[in-house]
Amino acid sequence: MSEQITVTVNGDTVSARPAANTLLSTFLREELGLTGAHVGCDTSQCGACVVLVDGKSVKSCTMLAHQAAGTNVTTIEGLAGDGGELHPMQEAFRDNHGLQCGFCTPGMVLSAVDLVSRNPDPSEGEVRSWLEGNICRCTGYHNIVKSIRAAAKVMRA
Amino acid sequence: MDIGGEHQIPAAREAVWRALNDADILRRAIPGCEELEKISDTEFNARITAKIGPVKARFKARIQLEDMDPPASYTLTGEGQGGVAGFAKGAAKVRLLDQGEGASVLKYEAEMRVGGKIAQVGSRLVRGAARKTAAGFFANFVAILGESAYGKP
Amino acid sequence: MNANTTTTSGIGGSVRRREDSRFLQGRGRYTDDINIAGQAYAVFVRSPHAHARINGIDTAAATAAEGVVAVFTAEHTKDIGGVPTGWQVHSKDGEPMAEPKHPVLAEGMARHVGDPVAMVIAATRRQARDAAELVAVDYDPQPAVVDMKAALAADSTKVHADLPGNLCYDWELGDKAAVDEAFAGAAHVTKLDLVNNRLIPNAVEPRCAIGDFDSVSGEHTLYTTSQNPHVIRLLMGAFVLSIPEHKLRVVAPDVGGGFGSKIFHYAEEALVTWAAAQVKKPVKWTAERSESFMSDAHGRDHVTHAELALDADGKFLALRCSTLANMGAYLSTFAPCIPTYLHGTLLAGQYVTPAIYCEVKAVFTNTVPVDAYRGAGRPEATFILERIVDQAAAETGVDPAELRRRNLIKPEQFPYQTPVALQYDTGNYEATLDQALKAADYAGFESRRKQSAAAGKLRGVGLSCYIEACGIAPSNVVGSLGARAGLYEAATIRVNPTGSVVVLTGSHAHGQGHETTFAQVVSDMLGIDYDAVEIVHGDTAKVPFGMGTYGSRSIAVGGAAIAKAVDKIIAKGKKIAAHLLEAGEGDIVFENGAFKVAGTDREKSFGDIALTAYVPHQYPLESLEPGLEETAFYDPANFTYPAGTYVCEVEVDPDTGRVTVASFHASDDFGNLINPMIVEGQVHGGLAQGIGQALLENCVYDADGQLLSGSYMDYCMPRADDLPSFQVDTTVTACTHNPLGVKGCGEAGAIGAPPALINAVVNALNGGGHPIAHLDMPATPQKVWAAMQSN
Ligand code: FES
Ligand code: FES
Repeated sequence: MSEQITVTVNGDTVSARPAANTLLSTFLREELGLTGAHVGCDTSQCGACVVLVDGKSVKSCTMLAHQAAGTNVTTIEGLAGDGGELHPMQEAFRDNHGLQCGFCTPGMVLSAVDLVSRNPDPSEGEVRSWLEGNICRCTGYHNIVKSIRAAAKVMRA
Repeated sequence: MDIGGEHQIPAAREAVWRALNDADILRRAIPGCEELEKISDTEFNARITAKIGPVKARFKARIQLEDMDPPASYTLTGEGQGGVAGFAKGAAKVRLLDQGEGASVLKYEAEMRVGGKIAQVGSRLVRGAARKTAAGFFANFVAILGESAYGKP
Repeated sequence: MNANTTTTSGIGGSVRRREDSRFLQGRGRYTDDINIAGQAYAVFVRSPHAHARINGIDTAAATAAEGVVAVFTAEHTKDIGGVPTGWQVHSKDGEPMAEPKHPVLAEGMARHVGDPVAMVIAATRRQARDAAELVAVDYDPQPAVVDMKAALAADSTKVHADLPGNLCYDWELGDKAAVDEAFAGAAHVTKLDLVNNRLIPNAVEPRCAIGDFDSVSGEHTLYTTSQNPHVIRLLMGAFVLSIPEHKLRVVAPDVGGGFGSKIFHYAEEALVTWAAAQVKKPVKWTAERSESFMSDAHGRDHVTHAELALDADGKFLALRCSTLANMGAYLSTFAPCIPTYLHGTLLAGQYVTPAIYCEVKAVFTNTVPVDAYRGAGRPEATFILERIVDQAAAETGVDPAELRRRNLIKPEQFPYQTPVALQYDTGNYEATLDQALKAADYAGFESRRKQSAAAGKLRGVGLSCYIEACGIAPSNVVGSLGARAGLYEAATIRVNPTGSVVVLTGSHAHGQGHETTFAQVVSDMLGIDYDAVEIVHGDTAKVPFGMGTYGSRSIAVGGAAIAKAVDKIIAKGKKIAAHLLEAGEGDIVFENGAFKVAGTDREKSFGDIALTAYVPHQYPLESLEPGLEETAFYDPANFTYPAGTYVCEVEVDPDTGRVTVASFHASDDFGNLINPMIVEGQVHGGLAQGIGQALLENCVYDADGQLLSGSYMDYCMPRADDLPSFQVDTTVTACTHNPLGVKGCGEAGAIGAPPALINAVVNALNGGGHPIAHLDMPATPQKVWAAMQSN
């Protein structure tokens, strides 16, 4: 039996015994049923699996569930407010058509939240280079960049 | 891809040649080799674990010695199946030059080809991995030779 | 296009997408998010060899491994039909194409890296993966053939034993004699050899399939990442597994992008469906990305020689092209029609070229099957035409915009019959050209070139005037060309008693926003609240029929079917209203959501009519059935012909050869727009894929057939910092033959962008003192730098 870990996931305390080699992405999707984190690759390059760990964006396929012990994990399911109101980043993606198939979207949104927390007024170039680890095949990034800058503006206000 | 190298060995050519045909020495010298079974004088079955970039696999390999020209040269060919990781094949032409006074020079030229997942995700890394493996082999080989009876004059 | 100012929720409004609420909160339901109680997991053992005889497969250790439920090989799947092809092309000599069997698991011979050889099913994913390692396949590697020219040689390795020369078909289109004659009298002939690079579609969601079997009802269910669940039901049910439609349900839930690669019926879909009945458990398979690289159908991969004949005034006289098209090791669902009917027929482009001849040899090689990828055939045709026109302009010293303008089909020439079978219904190409040139400030290029030169950069400008044939397709036309299915679309409008509406459509959405766009159409036509309309798609148990989403057909064909069904609802409503209002049916008009007696103020609301239809207390039961639900099938009369002009400027760094896209302007004519915001997004996505093809993406096999670009480390996907912001706008000539006047917009960017990019790079090098005629895609720094050094 593997060791028990305790993680705070979207505000809830979760105790579980994932196998030692379980990836955080697998743990979230298969053991907690949080399927918002998507798995788009097996070489840690697409960014569809990004979640926030203690507020920092992390590719959940590059981290073991056990490494998340004691941390605070936010997945896309936990980003909206308690009353269901969308986070300004989610709102901006919707308002600027920053998503199409939606598969890259959870990772994009959470990466963007992390970016804006570090840099409240990112330029277009800064947004584009921050998104280096997130692949979107649908949007051509144009509206994603637009969404992130619009959200940053709202979040600054 | 072609790689090659040259090593000074402080042992006489005959001794080196015998070592190059000794299953136990080969087993200890081949990096990642877990098992080497001698089938005939020129054939071996091996189990080797190798890591190329992100792919780590256990290969079931068949090694053959060809073009035997004792004690001057042979060609070592190997073919390994790594299951879902794919396969690797290689050949190394090994030459021994007598330097006299109990010393010799070993020269090799090798080529290696990979297939399946190793080629897919690791092809850029294969050359480096092959060079490292070859270098590892000959370094081990020289070291083992130093300790073993072959190395003693 | 003004995506942000329109507020209407009807046709023409940039309504925010309703599907976004779930996607933004992680509530999408993609296939891999579905788990069925008791499911087992499948993992495929795939050939690491491009070509190998399979002498034997030892499954004993795998079968005995922990958690393993079953291990299947070709020995078990003998009775399963091969994966079928939906299109039959005939060669010049009238012979049907070669159509070798495509077994679901390799039968004695593996023909490409990734060819599935065995299927391992276990209780957990990890157990299945571990057991797959234990399957020992005794391969006897054979020489592989990768290069198409080599494959055509009589003594080449044979991909299929009974097919010497590996030729699938040798097809032609056009009047060869007329073309030869025109060339003989030409003032100038431009010749070009070009390659349309092989691409890997790479939707970010990997393919996934779950089979389920109910032994009591005998019903099979397949959940799959598909663009067209009904097509999968048809192909898999009828040809592969022999399951009648009423016992086979195919569900394609939320799908994370397709771009063509999820049109096709894949072996894994059939295998999980079949295996679920064998092992009496649901069976789930999710591709790993490395598996996607070697099992999803690839795109493009053409090698072409083209010649254009011009008269002394720069008018095009004739075009001839000879193309080799790679089919890969087996024929995928649509593969044969891509280089033929979606390619040869597009070679007129926007121009009056009186004579065109095209021949295409399709070739089998030891590579993954090649099929439609965003644009499918049309990007290849556009690349040939827009490159050779640019080269002709350079050779004759005419400005490329001017040479194009001289040859454009004029508005008064529509309907325009091309020499390659198609008849364009409408367009105004000069208007789009003018709009693009103006918006991109083409006239001011020289000053920007100088600025770039002052900063040490070579600047180039490139144009592309593309056309595409969308709205696939008139069934009688495609039937005569070898399609084995009709390509209509179906829709059902179900009006509920309280007046809310459910639309069941065969057009599947995987990013296109149909749930929003189609609701706009229906609410606008019925004059009801947008929120009262619900769109249902992706489940054969709910939607009566459909042919799915590809070829930019959703709005032009699927939308037209919906409009037709709405018309039927209105017609029935009029009958009900006539009864209620005691008027003649001919006197009833439907306006602003109400049925009115023309010229009076007597009316019944849509809600009244709906209620009456279901509560038929006062109802003409003798002449009309209760209920308000109508189904329509729409089969288009013609293709639609979106067209546009793209203007691209690039900067080349002479020290590194790196190409930067300085600006990209797209002017498109998509006919009427339903939701301009969504249309703009479709264009952006297409442009990114087109720029990706031109500058970054390339699928590489080595001479032994090993896939070298098999991960995101080696296959260069466009990322945010590889691309610029885009300027896009539209002109409108409404399609003349569908009810909405729409043409489709999904593929335009991927079709029009590549030649604009390469034209710009060639222009930059030529302008910077490095005369070159052509550069093959992708224009990587290495390739550009080498081209600069060679002169
Ligand atoms: S799944 Fe984590 S980066 Fe692709
Ligand atoms: S929206 Fe489909 S991958 Fe980004």
